[in-house]
Amino acid sequence: MSTEDYKQVILDHATNSKKTKLYFSDLKKAVQKQYPDAKTRMVKQAATELINDGTMIYYSTGSTTMYGLKGRGITEDQ
Amino acid sequence: MAFEPKEEQKTINYEEARIYSQEELSNYTEEELKNYKIKHDVPDLDDLEKGPWPSFVTDAKREDLHRKKLNDERLLISKNCVEDLLGQLQLSFDHGETHWKHGGIVGVFGYGGGVIGRYSDVQEDFPGVASFHTLRVNQAASKFYDTNYLRTLCDMWEYRGSGLLNMHGSTGDIILLGTTTEQLEPVFHEMTHELQQDLGGSGSNLRTPSCCIGKARCEWSCIDTQDMCYELTQFYQDELHRPMFPYKFKFKFDGCPNGCVASIARSDMSFIGTWKDNIKIDQDKVKAYINGEAQPNAGSHNGRDWGKFDIQKEVIDRCPTGCMSLENGELKIDNENCNRCMHCINVMPQALRPGDDKGVTILFGAKAPILEGAQMSVMTIPFMKAEPPYDNIKDVIENVWDWWMEEGKNRERLGELIQRKTLQEFLKVVGVPAAPQMVTAPRANPYIFWKEEDVPGGFERDVEDYRSRHKR
Ligand code: SF4
Ligand code: SF4
Repeated sequence: MSTEDYKQVILDHATNSKKTKLYFSDLKKAVQKQYPDAKTRMVKQAATELINDGTMIYYSTGSTTMYGLKGRGITEDQ
Repeated sequence: MAFEPKEEQKTINYEEARIYSQEELSNYTEEELKNYKIKHDVPDLDDLEKGPWPSFVTDAKREDLHRKKLNDERLLISKNCVEDLLGQLQLSFDHGETHWKHGGIVGVFGYGGGVIGRYSDVQEDFPGVASFHTLRVNQAASKFYDTNYLRTLCDMWEYRGSGLLNMHGSTGDIILLGTTTEQLEPVFHEMTHELQQDLGGSGSNLRTPSCCIGKARCEWSCIDTQDMCYELTQFYQDELHRPMFPYKFKFKFDGCPNGCVASIARSDMSFIGTWKDNIKIDQDKVKAYINGEAQPNAGSHNGRDWGKFDIQKEVIDRCPTGCMSLENGELKIDNENCNRCMHCINVMPQALRPGDDKGVTILFGAKAPILEGAQMSVMTIPFMKAEPPYDNIKDVIENVWDWWMEEGKNRERLGELIQRKTLQEFLKVVGVPAAPQMVTAPRANPYIFWKEEDVPGGFERDVEDYRSRHKR
């Protein structure tokens, strides 16, 4: 399994989930459902790559941070 | 140990970096300030100025007057932001509710923390604070700065932000209070490229680590708190800036059990400098204290009528574990029972000193009172060496993080997870045996919970066999 596979699962999950903002652990669970051996750090790496290429964005309340797909839900400056 | 920066350090020269002239910086008189009124009516805030302590309201009004007197092109965000901030605060007092919308999609590229989005929900009345985001800046270890740095920072923030800042927030960061979305990237650039200072943590990140003044100025420091803080901050950059945890996580470093950064109350993982061998005693100096030749607490309680120093009452009887005694004028300490509280050392600093075999005690799980009330950290690792590059400590940290990320629920702090899963489970993760000092309450619990592997034959039993000997 490569980071690319994990990225695909994360993207599918972020696109299809009812929620537009997801906790990191939600992304991890989604990946581990398909790839039970996926390590947290690898999932993190995949999520970070999606952030760095602009596909996903961070959403922060100050105390907690969530991940969202750019273009889904609130994704721009209010 | 000399400081070895991980990147080359620039010398900051305020005269070269400054934005404002001296005339611009002192552009109002105290007389003008006294008569100055902001445009909103703020009776409750005016009231706050009347107390015995300096008030942030006074500071804010001063800043507002100063901004009003600067030329428009000398400020990149609203000239009225401070005034509108006070106006909105008064409205919040009137309504008993905040008028900030919480959070949102603001940040600097690639960072999941460091910027807290703030938007006003009464923007028509207070346009100056329509968007007023906060930036957290990773403070220098022990908060040492020189004036070139501070002045450059203040000029930059006057120009690109509200000019208001907190030195420092409770986690330790410098808090830059209020700017617009457009200014976030430029401020970030100036901070990192000109001032060589990174943003701090916020959200579900490792929060900005912070340490006491340590070996730089304090003779009690048993560990190099600044070095540890710097090393772990640098080593865990990814955890600081790119969130992956269930919730926030804080490290704090106290050089000794005096706990000047209160790590035990304020961090998920508290590092407290300590020693393993015996307290060093200079018996001649003990006599000097007894005879009144040396001043207890280095004279800090002088000038009050507390009478002559009484070693029995003020030191021996105050030892929390009762492990001290005076025998024929000699001070004795039963070091096995000393819990390193520092009391006797603080009172008689010339006579007593920490031992030479130094390291850290590591405690886990403090937090503020949102769920279940406030919690102090629990002493878990009584002693560990703390020397660069701290690989032994990094191993502990990573084990704990792996467990918390695996088992923790969203928004569950480490301390809450330990409570939910039990300390016994946590000790398995850290790999240390249980000790009575870890039990806060009850200290007299007669129940023992056995682990299955500790019980011969396990928990399974043969009921038939049992019944053959015991009738129903
Ligand atoms: S915690 Fe201890 S070492 Fe650190 S500044 Fe305070 S007294 Fe000194
Ligand atoms: S450090 Fe505290 S516990 Fe230890 S001998 Fe001194 S007063 Fe007693």
